[in-house]
Order: sequence, then structure tokens, then C-alpha cells
Amino acid sequence: MTDGGSDWSGKIGEVVLGATAADGGTRKVSYRVGGDDDLPFLGGCTSGHRPLVAYEICDDPGLWPQIVRDYCGDLVNDPASWSKAAEREYGADLIRLSLTSTRRRGFSDFAALGKTVHDVLHATGLPLIIEGSNDPQIDSEVFQQCGEAGQGERLLLGTAEAGRYRSVAAAALAYGHGVIAQSPIDINLAKQLNILLKEIGVPLDRVVIDPYTGALGYGFEYSYSVMERIRYSALKGDQDLQVPMISAASDSLNIKEVREAEPAIRDEMAVRWEFYAALPAIVAGAAIVVVRHPGTVKALRDAVEKMWPGEVTANAAQGA
Amino acid sequence: MPLKALDIYKLLPKKNCKECGDPTCLTFAMKLASGKGDVTKCPYLDEDAKVVLGASTRPPIQLVRVGVGELRFGVGDEFVLFRHEKTFYHPTALMISVSDRWTADEIRVQTRRVASDHLVRVGADLRLNGIAIRNDSGSPEAFGKAVAAVEETATHLPEVLMATDPAAQEAGLASCGHFRPLIHAATMETYPAMCGLAKKFGCPLVISAPDLATLSDLSKRCTAEGVARLMLDVSPSSLADYIPAATLIRRLAICRAQPEFGYPVFLDATRYGNQDTAIALGILKYASVIATETLPPATLRAALTLRQNIYTDPQKPIQMNPGLYPIGSPGKDAPVLMTVNFSLTFFTLQGYLESARVPCYMLIVDTEGLSVLTAVASGKLNETLVKESLKRFDVGSSVTHRKLIIPGYASPLSGRIEEETGWKVLVGPRDAAEIGEYLAQEWKS
Repeated sequence: MTDGGSDWSGKIGEVVLGATAADGGTRKVSYRVGGDDDLPFLGGCTSGHRPLVAYEICDDPGLWPQIVRDYCGDLVNDPASWSKAAEREYGADLIRLSLTSTRRRGFSDFAALGKTVHDVLHATGLPLIIEGSNDPQIDSEVFQQCGEAGQGERLLLGTAEAGRYRSVAAAALAYGHGVIAQSPIDINLAKQLNILLKEIGVPLDRVVIDPYTGALGYGFEYSYSVMERIRYSALKGDQDLQVPMISAASDSLNIKEVREAEPAIRDEMAVRWEFYAALPAIVAGAAIVVVRHPGTVKALRDAVEKMWPGEVTANAAQGA
Repeated sequence: MPLKALDIYKLLPKKNCKECGDPTCLTFAMKLASGKGDVTKCPYLDEDAKVVLGASTRPPIQLVRVGVGELRFGVGDEFVLFRHEKTFYHPTALMISVSDRWTADEIRVQTRRVASDHLVRVGADLRLNGIAIRNDSGSPEAFGKAVAAVEETATHLPEVLMATDPAAQEAGLASCGHFRPLIHAATMETYPAMCGLAKKFGCPLVISAPDLATLSDLSKRCTAEGVARLMLDVSPSSLADYIPAATLIRRLAICRAQPEFGYPVFLDATRYGNQDTAIALGILKYASVIATETLPPATLRAALTLRQNIYTDPQKPIQMNPGLYPIGSPGKDAPVLMTVNFSLTFFTLQGYLESARVPCYMLIVDTEGLSVLTAVASGKLNETLVKESLKRFDVGSSVTHRKLIIPGYASPLSGRIEEETGWKVLVGPRDAAEIGEYLAQEWKS
């Protein structure tokens, strides 16, 4: 029998998230993501590292899905305690802190951001992803604050886009962090942004592609194929795409099916809606998936455990 | 390996007799090369040529039909490994289980639920495909009764009979054999008897083996027995093994390297202690029929939606009809938000507007399915289009004010839209998630 397999010439590069004491940080664990030399789940655990599940919290719950506010209660008002719960109760591999406070009009309390990042880093030993502002006018100060507060911790800072990537890249370079490069569901734009980042001095082993993920039923079909194409092109040898991917179907909990679900099954609907987009994203090649309902973290961890051929702790670069 | 049209042409009689329905032997050869032709239509082929062409010109994955009547479904007939290369054509069929250990009443309730469960999303009717009847009792008699109970309740529902014992299969087929159920499954031990049943009732047959080499062998044996409609159950021992096995089968089938793998894949999702994961993997990676336990309502919606997404043509942007869409019950002073007719944009914005609970109008302009960003960049979204749309949908008579909220990414157009339309333009947020806050703070009619 022939194996009919493909010969790949390329390999996904590795990116390190989080720094332990040995690397000058304070994280209990750090991860390597990427490293794959075949399509997802075809090469066994010798090809790449176990996919990671990130739990996303925010610093201004007014802009967060109601269902999460109801489920998590008072925790949503305190990012530090919330991140602690994500680590100890929800079972997340890492935390994504979304600085929703910066989305308010006329936001100017930059010092508060640094304090929030500091508090979260103090409360949890997990590596941290930070989603900063999305307004070019305040990007510079926002990323400066975050970058500095997390100096030495090897954060992953987001989001760089084609029109606004300099501030986040500058903060990442100055303080030793990685960058999330987001492009709107398009393999060519993803490649272009990586080239732009490379040109201003961000090495690709600090970059993670976010191809933008539409919610299940709301554009997910495009995101899924773009992830497959990025992975395929990278393995075929396109060096500008040989970086790991992160996927966050962030609109999942605002869609009609979740909002209008019967109260008795609303949480279950939220979890399934996130799960049925995040797991396919992993199958398409995402190294990190981001979810907002605590129940989804466990569902995804269980799924990955069933699918991942080796030890589920296999990608800890430094164990705790 | 597939033959090229010219190689096939060399084997044809070159009489251009038109008896196959094609104008020339060359066009017939081209049709065969693309997998769309039927080699038996040529009356003058010699036997050797038939053998050569038969193996290399049928679709790389056999189309297999299950059931009869309106709910009959066909699976297989796929051509690619990745949906972006072309598209996936025949959506995964989901079959819900009943057990022959259940009472007849329990079986009827479940059958009725499967027959009636469906949901409508973006204009498409999504439903479960049928019933998987399991011979958990080991008794042919109990199995026959269970099948009969399903039949009495909904004769039109496609079925898969899951029994390893040929005697049990025969008892089941006695009451439903002529409705073309799927027989699951023949093994190396039982295939002569199972092939006999498949031929007697004209039913498709699932074959099952513990590894791919045995499965390949079994496939050849069953076709030699004269059964042409097969499905393959790779029965991996864990979900870690499913993707490699299903991918290998698909690869070998579509490059026609091993015709014995050119059949749809069957997955029993109940075996792995994590049904959601098995269902998702099956839908994504080439399972054509999945047998599952009852799906809770949330799983049902999510799984059917994933299937719809994966089996949508990825190269076709889904478009909304342009128009003026009310959210809630907007009055004459309600805000008007303009955006493009890319369905993802539409549904995302609609979701956030509904949760913001501000009655308003969405003005959807025709950018031929392009997103805001690409429509602005390509010039498809411009002041003329906005002006025409305001007029075409008579927005001026739905509201008394003259203010138009445009997407943040369209801000470069704000001045030109104001000049062209005479409406005051307000630039909204770039991220739809912030629209609620934006309206709360900015909107004053």
C-alpha cells in the first residue's frame, strides 16, 4: 500500500509564550507553539505541539457578552481574580486579557492599563496574551503601558493590522514580547502583514497569525478554509506564512442562536457554539484557540486530550 | 492513476458513431477523463479496454444512495482533499440511534423526534438524515421488531441497520429491505453472507476492518462478490487515529491510487466517549455518514450549522438582498446604519444591533458580497452607490431626519457621501461589537 502522503518542504516555526524564572520572567509555565511539519494531526506528536486553549477576560465587562457576565458573576469586575479562576477552576492553558476599557470614547486612563496587566500577571502563573486598543490614536500609549508592565514575561501582544502595526511592534520589540498579526480572512493579506512586520524588525519567531475567525454560521466557513490554506502554503514552503495561528471566534456569544436560546440551555448553547468553531479551527491548524465561556475550556481540553496522540503536557517548554 | 483524455481516446473505437450520446469519440474521452462519463455507454469497446477504463474513469469516490423517496440522500462523489480546491458536494448524513433493547414506545418517540427535528438557517432547511438501529440485544428477533417499530412510525426515514450477525440483518431487512437501508457492517468473517443480503435487497453495504490493509482486502472481496455500493468504516481505536485514517483513504481515493478505497466513509461517533468531538471531526474530515446517540438541542444546532458551513462553496461570497431592514420597531426618528451586503457583515451587525436594543434601520447596499474593507478598497462602495440606495429603498420616507451612520472602515468616504446625498454622515465604529455603546452615546435624532 502506498501512503499517498504529501512531501512537504516547509515547517511551521516555533514561538515561545511566557517566560519562567529561568528565562527572566515569573510564569509558572511557558509554551512552545508551532513546530509542525505536516497537516494538523497527521504527523503525530512528533510534528508540532499540542494546541492550547486560552480563556479570555476583559477589564471593562460592560462591553462583554451578557451570558458570561451572568455565568461568572462578580469575577468579571476584577481581572486579577477572574484570571485566577481561569487558571484554577476553568482549566485554561493561558489567559487573554482584552482591554475593553480602551474602546470607550475619550479613553485616557493609560496608567490603569499598566496596573491591570501587573495585577493579572501577579494573580496567575499562566502566560498572558493582551488584546489592546483598536484605535490608532491611542495605540502607542496603550501598547507602551502593556509592554512595560509585562517586561520580561514574553507576552503576546495584539493586534497588529495592515494599517496599524507600528505601535504594537515597537512595544513588542522594546520589551521582548510576541505580536498577533491580524488580517481579514485572506491568505495574501496575512502574508503581506508578516512581511511588513519583518521589514520593521520583528522576527517571525515572535509572530502569530490571527486570520480572523467568524462565528459558526456567521462566516466561519471562510475562516476555516483560510486557515487550511495558510497551513498548506506554509508547509509547501512559503516562509512568510511559517508561523503558528491563533483563532478567536469572538462574536460567538453575541449571535442569535445563543441570545435567543431557552434560559435552561443558554449556557450549553454558548459552549457548543464556541466549541464547534474552536475545534474545527484546531483541525484547520490553529495552535491557540480563544474562548469566553468557562465551560468551553473544559470541553476543548477534553477534546484535545482525545485527539492528541502524546502526553497532553508535551509542549511545556519549561514545566512548573 | 487517472488517464488523460488522449490516453482514453486511444482505447476507444474512434468511429464517432454518436451512440454514446456524445458527438465524437474525443468528446466522450474528455468526459470520461473528468470522471463525468459512463464507460458502458460505448457499445463497441472491447473487454480489455472496458476493464482499463472502468477502473480509471468512474468518479474517484462512488456515489452511494441510502433510503428512498424525498428523504433519500446520496453521499460520496467528492473530488478534493480541501474544500477551497473546489467544494464539498454531499453533506455528511447524521443518523440518530435507537437500540433494540428499548421498548417499542421508546423507539417510536425517538423516530418521531428525528423525523420532525429541523431548523432553518439562512434560508436552508437543516435536518437529521435518519435512524441507526442497533442490535444491542444480540437477538435477531428483537432486532426485527425494533426495525419494524421504526418502519411503522416513519417509513420514509432512511435507516442504517447496525448488526454484526447476518441472521439479525436478515430479520431487519425482512421489514425494511425494499426501502434501501444501509447495512452495517460486513467484516472479514461475515462478508459472504452480508454481500448476499446486500445483493438480495439491493442495499448499500458498510464494510469494517481494524486496519486499512484489511479494509482494502475486504473491499476487493466484496466487489468481487458483486456488491458495487460500499462504505468504509475504518473503526479507529481512538480519535487520534481517525484523522490520519480518513485522510489517507480520501487521498488514495481521489488520486485513484487504490480504487478499493473509492467509497464514502462511515463513522460511529458513539464509540469514543466524546461524541461532540467525533461528530466535529467526522464532518470536517471526510465522514459521509455518522451514527450518533441523541443530540441535545445545543449540539444539534451547532453540529448542523458546522455541516452547513463546511459544505458551503467557499469561493462564493454569500450575499444578502440589498434593502432597508428594520431592527425592532423603528420609529421616524430611528437611526439608519449603512453597511454592505456581505452576509457575514450583515449577520454580525444585526446580532449586535439586536442585543443593543435600539430600534433602527440597516441600509444594506449592493457591494456584490464584498466586505466593507474590500468594497472601499476596490471602489465598489462609493458615494453614488449610497445615493442610489437611499433613493431605491426610499429611506427618506421611513425616517424624518437626514443622518446616516456609516461603518468605521468607510470613513474615507464620509465627505463625498455628504456632498452627494445631502445627508449628514456619522462615522460609526470599525468593530460591530461597539455599535451598542456608540448608539448609546452618540445617537441623538
